[in-house]
Amino acid sequence: MPEISGFAFPNDIHVTWSLMIVMYPYITGFVAGSFIVTSLYHLFGRQEFKPVARLAMATSFAFLLVASLPLQLHLGQPQRGPYVIITPNFTSAMAGFGILYSFYMLVLVLELWFVWRQEIIDRARRSRGFKRTFYATLALGTYDTSPEAVEIDHKAIMILAGIGLPAACMLHGYVGFIFGAIKANPWWSTPLMPVIFLLSAAVSGIALLIIIYQVFAKLDRRPVVATCVQALASWLWFFLILTITLEELELIVMAYEKSESWLIISELLTTRLSFSYVTMQMIVGGLIPFILLAVVVLMNRYLHEKVRNTLATVAAFLTLIQVFAMRWNIVIGGQLLSKSLRGLRSPYEPEIFGREGVLMAIALFVAPFVILWIFDRVLGIEEPEGGADHPPAAPTAGQAAAGHAP
Amino acid sequence: MSDCHDGCNGSRREFLSGTLKLAGGAVVTVIGGAALASSGGSDGAEASHPGGGEYDWNEHLWAYLVDTTKCIGCGSCVRACKAENEVPDGFFRTWIERYVVGMNDSHVDSPSGGMDGFPPVQVGFAATKSFFVPKICNHCRATPCTQVCPVGASYRTKDGAVLVDSDSCIGCGYCVQACPYGSRFIHPATHTASKCTWCYHRITKGLKPACVTVCPTQARQFGDLKKEGDPVRGTIEHERVQILQGHLLTEPQCYYTNLDKEVR
Amino acid sequence: MDHARHVFRIVLLVAIILAVVLLARGFLVPKSYGLYGRYRGASVAEQMNLRPPMHAGAAACADCHEDQAKKRTAGAHKNVSCEICHGPLGAHVKADGSVVKPPIDRSFTLCARCHRKIEGRPAKFPQVVLDQHVNGPVEGKVCLQCHDPHSPKP
Repeated sequence: MPEISGFAFPNDIHVTWSLMIVMYPYITGFVAGSFIVTSLYHLFGRQEFKPVARLAMATSFAFLLVASLPLQLHLGQPQRGPYVIITPNFTSAMAGFGILYSFYMLVLVLELWFVWRQEIIDRARRSRGFKRTFYATLALGTYDTSPEAVEIDHKAIMILAGIGLPAACMLHGYVGFIFGAIKANPWWSTPLMPVIFLLSAAVSGIALLIIIYQVFAKLDRRPVVATCVQALASWLWFFLILTITLEELELIVMAYEKSESWLIISELLTTRLSFSYVTMQMIVGGLIPFILLAVVVLMNRYLHEKVRNTLATVAAFLTLIQVFAMRWNIVIGGQLLSKSLRGLRSPYEPEIFGREGVLMAIALFVAPFVILWIFDRVLGIEEPEGGADHPPAAPTAGQAAAGHAP
Repeated sequence: MSDCHDGCNGSRREFLSGTLKLAGGAVVTVIGGAALASSGGSDGAEASHPGGGEYDWNEHLWAYLVDTTKCIGCGSCVRACKAENEVPDGFFRTWIERYVVGMNDSHVDSPSGGMDGFPPVQVGFAATKSFFVPKICNHCRATPCTQVCPVGASYRTKDGAVLVDSDSCIGCGYCVQACPYGSRFIHPATHTASKCTWCYHRITKGLKPACVTVCPTQARQFGDLKKEGDPVRGTIEHERVQILQGHLLTEPQCYYTNLDKEVR
Repeated sequence: MDHARHVFRIVLLVAIILAVVLLARGFLVPKSYGLYGRYRGASVAEQMNLRPPMHAGAAACADCHEDQAKKRTAGAHKNVSCEICHGPLGAHVKADGSVVKPPIDRSFTLCARCHRKIEGRPAKFPQVVLDQHVNGPVEGKVCLQCHDPHSPKP
């Protein structure tokens, strides 16, 4: 039995939303964050992100495939999960999420298909037997790579990216809404919640890309493009500043207003969450990467490329911790305080094994990377040498061998 | 004067019976299978109300009333609720809180939800008053718990009870988070949401909820807002009554008299 | 639009998937869903008949136990339901009519739940400060040796 300090409503001593519900916004955050990066290139034509544009899109897809799993694993009756789509109750933020998730999945898969279409067709032409059937099916049987078809692809990509960006932002803003719209819980109930979730999603997405971009480059023996890491680091710094500012503003307003819940929330932060909030979210994951990134951005000219990349990578790791700590402090922290506003329960310790345990959480975090690896095997994440993928530039007419499949 | 509201007029009745005929098979099966339907359960397809029996939910609107000055903290209600509703150990559909209050400090406890009564308590301040507050689900009219249910497994009936359909509940726990009163929990055996039903299986048969039935001091009362001369309705209509956490605008249908400022 | 064939194909594929999902949904919605609101209508009747009522109230007990009932209604415990001390009627008389001997709680703790002087009880309610009871401290002694629970006198 958990120990209670003060008085908690007798049903309020259970942490109903487990580690899985911490993983759910964490993973969804990468979906939105990396899609923002890919949009910076595809929609806004920021050339410095070209080296990570395809990787970012694939990352968004890999995490999206996993994003609903923690929710499923958490359900008391997982086999009834599809009811969220079958009999949705539209006044529920969660039912909306089911539909938004499906919609974003559709948009992203379509965009992926258009971006990778030439690659799929190439592979269909090159392979034989079962593999050929597989790629031909993926290409939906049309092998049209004529300049006109490629031009159509680019238009489709632009349109889908234009729909995808707001969809991705909505998807993650919505996750924040799921918490922010619970008026029963003063630690959650703030209109800032969706905004904070969205900004920290951008933080986690960019941070993750800084790391996996360099790892993939090493594995492929490609050079790491310095301007790309530099640009990612600047944007990471920008979003980190926004996130931390809003996270702090939320508290400052609560404290200054002396709202009825401030007493118990300040106790929550300084006792039960002192490590995960003050130490991890604010200092290790906030202040330190802020300084490191400030060095990377402001002293760019004086730094050796290796030093700069290392600093950016370390900062990226720390911000990943920051975002996880933030999810933890929101989801778990909100359940440690009783709605009586008179008591806190003892810290929650997730189980190790089991459906909602630590090992499962690690598996969920690793799974997208396995998906990425498979993706790379099947479709190739990096575009082949001399390939054409670029909204801002004109389409190259290099691929002459256009034709229709039988 | 009629107590009947919109549910009684002809067109709606016809519409409902039409819909019922369409989906009647399932309803009739359920009713037929229910051995304890008080009477005429088999004729469900003709009824404008679920169950099809004598009980018509259009004719009732339930409300709960607690007089905190009467509660002696014996815990009979909590034990009766457990026996009546097979409430699992460590979870509560109803409970009693004890407030020991001084000028500058207060102490609240609820050992085992008050199920076994209360022990003497020593507080580190000069207590000037003390009292018990029974708590149940407030069966709010604008309840956030049914609002957030993603699958419509939680709903408010026409006679005012907030119920959970444990056959549809996916066990996401969102309603548990959304209830400001801590009235809901995830049942450890069924892994679905569970809560006070105002003993819906009793009140639809003319009985009072178990907690009200056993309360030795009438601290807990249950009444019908659609019935003329109902004492609970009278109190709510004419006396000064309070609700819990009124600022959240959930419109609780569990009313209190003589509530203290310390109670949330 | 000769070169947009692949676009048509993928749009068609999406349309087919959507149609399948919608069709499947049509089959999977529970029958009585939406009958009274956005929930499974049959659930209401299920809740009504979830289980037989366990507690029946003092009047039901009086059907068989007239003497005790009369005595009780004449005394100070007239509002104390039989089922507080004797357990719910549903456990005493089963649904099939068979009778099980109910537990009779004669313990000190049962009486103390209501009558021990503690913080929280209304001042007017009869309470005993255990140390100051007429025959010395009473903790653990059986109250029923002197007090008749069906018609208690102070």
